[in-house]
Amino acid sequence: MQRSAGAMKRLIIKRLSLMLVMLLGLAVITFTVTNIAPGDPARLAAGPDASQEMVEKIRVERGFDRPLPARFLFYLGQLAQGDLGNSVYTSRPVAQDVAVFLPATLELVLFSILIAVVLGVPFGVLAAVYQNRLPDHAIRFLSVSGVALPMFWLGLMLQWYLSLELGLFPLGGRLGIFDEVPPRITGMITFDALLAGDPATAGNALKHMVLPAIALSFPALAAIIRVNRAEMLEVLGRDYVVNARAQGIGPFRIVAIYALKNAILPTLAMIGLRFGWMLGGTVLVESVFDFPGIGLYAAKAAISSDFEPIMAVTLILGAAFMLTNLLIDLAYALLDPRVRNQI
Amino acid sequence: MTKEPLLDIRDFSLVFDTFDGTYHAIDRVNLSLQPGEALGLVGETGCGKSVLTRAAFGLVPTPPARITGGSVKLAGRELLGLSDRELRQVRGRQVAMIFQDPMTYLNPVFRIGTQLIDAIRAQSGGRIKRVEAKAIALDMLEKVQLPNPERQLAAYPHELSGGMRQRVLIAMALAAKPRLLIADEPTTALDVTIQAQILDLMAGLVDEMGLTMIMISHDLGVVAQVCSRVAVMYAGKVVEDAPIAQIFDAPAHPYTQGLLAALPHPFRRQDRLASIPGTLPDLLHPPSGCLFAARCAQAAPACGVPVPMRPVGEAHRVACTLYDDERKKEPAHV
Ligand SMILES: Nc1ncnc2c1ncn2[C@@H]1O[C@H](COP(=O)(O)OP(=O)(O)OP(=O)(O)O)[C@@H](O)[C@H]1O
Ligand SMILES: [Mg+2]
Repeated sequence: MQRSAGAMKRLIIKRLSLMLVMLLGLAVITFTVTNIAPGDPARLAAGPDASQEMVEKIRVERGFDRPLPARFLFYLGQLAQGDLGNSVYTSRPVAQDVAVFLPATLELVLFSILIAVVLGVPFGVLAAVYQNRLPDHAIRFLSVSGVALPMFWLGLMLQWYLSLELGLFPLGGRLGIFDEVPPRITGMITFDALLAGDPATAGNALKHMVLPAIALSFPALAAIIRVNRAEMLEVLGRDYVVNARAQGIGPFRIVAIYALKNAILPTLAMIGLRFGWMLGGTVLVESVFDFPGIGLYAAKAAISSDFEPIMAVTLILGAAFMLTNLLIDLAYALLDPRVRNQI
Repeated sequence: MTKEPLLDIRDFSLVFDTFDGTYHAIDRVNLSLQPGEALGLVGETGCGKSVLTRAAFGLVPTPPARITGGSVKLAGRELLGLSDRELRQVRGRQVAMIFQDPMTYLNPVFRIGTQLIDAIRAQSGGRIKRVEAKAIALDMLEKVQLPNPERQLAAYPHELSGGMRQRVLIAMALAAKPRLLIADEPTTALDVTIQAQILDLMAGLVDEMGLTMIMISHDLGVVAQVCSRVAVMYAGKVVEDAPIAQIFDAPAHPYTQGLLAALPHPFRRQDRLASIPGTLPDLLHPPSGCLFAARCAQAAPACGVPVPMRPVGEAHRVACTLYDDERKKEPAHV
């Protein structure tokens, strides 16, 4: 155990340094793509009403007149200082915008992945246990819809039916107009409201997230069900399950503990992957539900050719994706002693 | 046969409903074991040894399997038709199984101790407490001569060698002091030196605990070391059933004779092992007569109709037309 704790620490350090290298690569790509796109960055940064003189001043000030490699180094220097540039659209530093919008998205995505895992894993197990019988067919219907229905269309349908027709959930946004925004601690309103001792507001924030979270989690739910079902089927046919049955161990324990702990490993990889996809999916879903998160922020920036926010969001989502993968690998090592031994 | 048999399998038949059709895996098998007896079950791969011994105790999933007839009595109690819960009690307490590959029969993500304790508690129907189960586990690990039992409890299966894992599996199987032990090729996957150790250990435990045993093997040599009687299976049927000496000295069925010829002989120089030409019949469409006829050098028209088991000596039965009164023909010896 002692030895494996040290190995774990080394693994984390190794992976974090690798992440820095990958982020650098990502920065090269986003920087190149945005800078070879047509348009004059100085004019864009100065805004449509600026005089030619202003534009030239900004060109020199922000280094837009220098060659691309030099500008990239300058950009990296800024990044290293935590300066993500400025948004023309919000006319604020991107770092400030991110601090406001990122927690909202995190809250939404965490809620969504929670739905996908809490439903997906048991559904996958049930489908495997009742293979080719009614529960399996019913669950397959769910997982096929998850693949077939486009996220934004599902979002619109949910809005139309559950919100407009039945009035069960708000149409969009993050809080009602009469709700008081709790003092900012984590930036995630649900948590902040709970910390401030205001469960009503927390409930309301949650209610605002239900529909976008369903839309966001549906494809992930489908994928998790499929992977977990397939893994459970495979594991339930393994020899150690036969042995457990031969010992007289009951079916619930065999399925929920002996088999699931083996089947959950590949499912975890899928959960990590889907978490990353969800982050990207927020661009669509937050737009549909007018949910003020980083996805909506990026979408609005893209429409107004506001490059610096887009580059920043790309890097942040990339980092989040890599961090998730690291967490998944650590969970793998925790659950599987054979993996633990290899690190 | 004055005593009541411990295990009595009568006319047991089982099919698999597969995509291609009905696969007749086990066909009207009879097997009977007296208490304290050790029976060897031999036959080439795929002949149904594992399916038979597992299905008798509800260990073959249905579907795809379907038991189409017969009866399985354990100490006089009919097992076919029992609920899963009742069968679980039977498996845990009265019948123990040890399997072929110790590498795959332990769960890779749980500690040895967890698996042992879980099994022991399940065998008791949950009556035994965790602490008590741990004591039994330690005791059993000592019985199977695993070094450092206390430390092995905290180990994961991949940290143990094949022989050690098989010892763990034996400890697990025998913890509840069962009456019947089914050992399904318990040494096939092990090194030769380890094989001998495990066989010795098992023979000792069978003796000490007064177990009745079915030992499944491809290897007549292994069976000869442990068993007093042998049943030979071919394509889902038992074709010969005899005391071990009879099998070696006067094998009656041409298939058994073939199996013996395939054994490496310690005193005779052989350039290569003899093997029986041909392959197993198609059990999706089994012929109505003797299933071995297509591979048999002595096949006759009489083999085309169902061939029942008949006695050919003291406790020696065989399913072969060579011993029909009408086919007055000396059995050929190989
Ligand atoms: N789930 C299943 N579906 C269809 N056929 C099966 C299934 N399980 C086993 N069989 C078939 O039943 C037959 C008997 O298999 P079994 O495992 O009992 O053979 P065996 O005598 O134990 O062989 P081995 O010596 O290789 O262990 C085989 O031909 C196998 O293909
Ligand atoms: Mg077998």
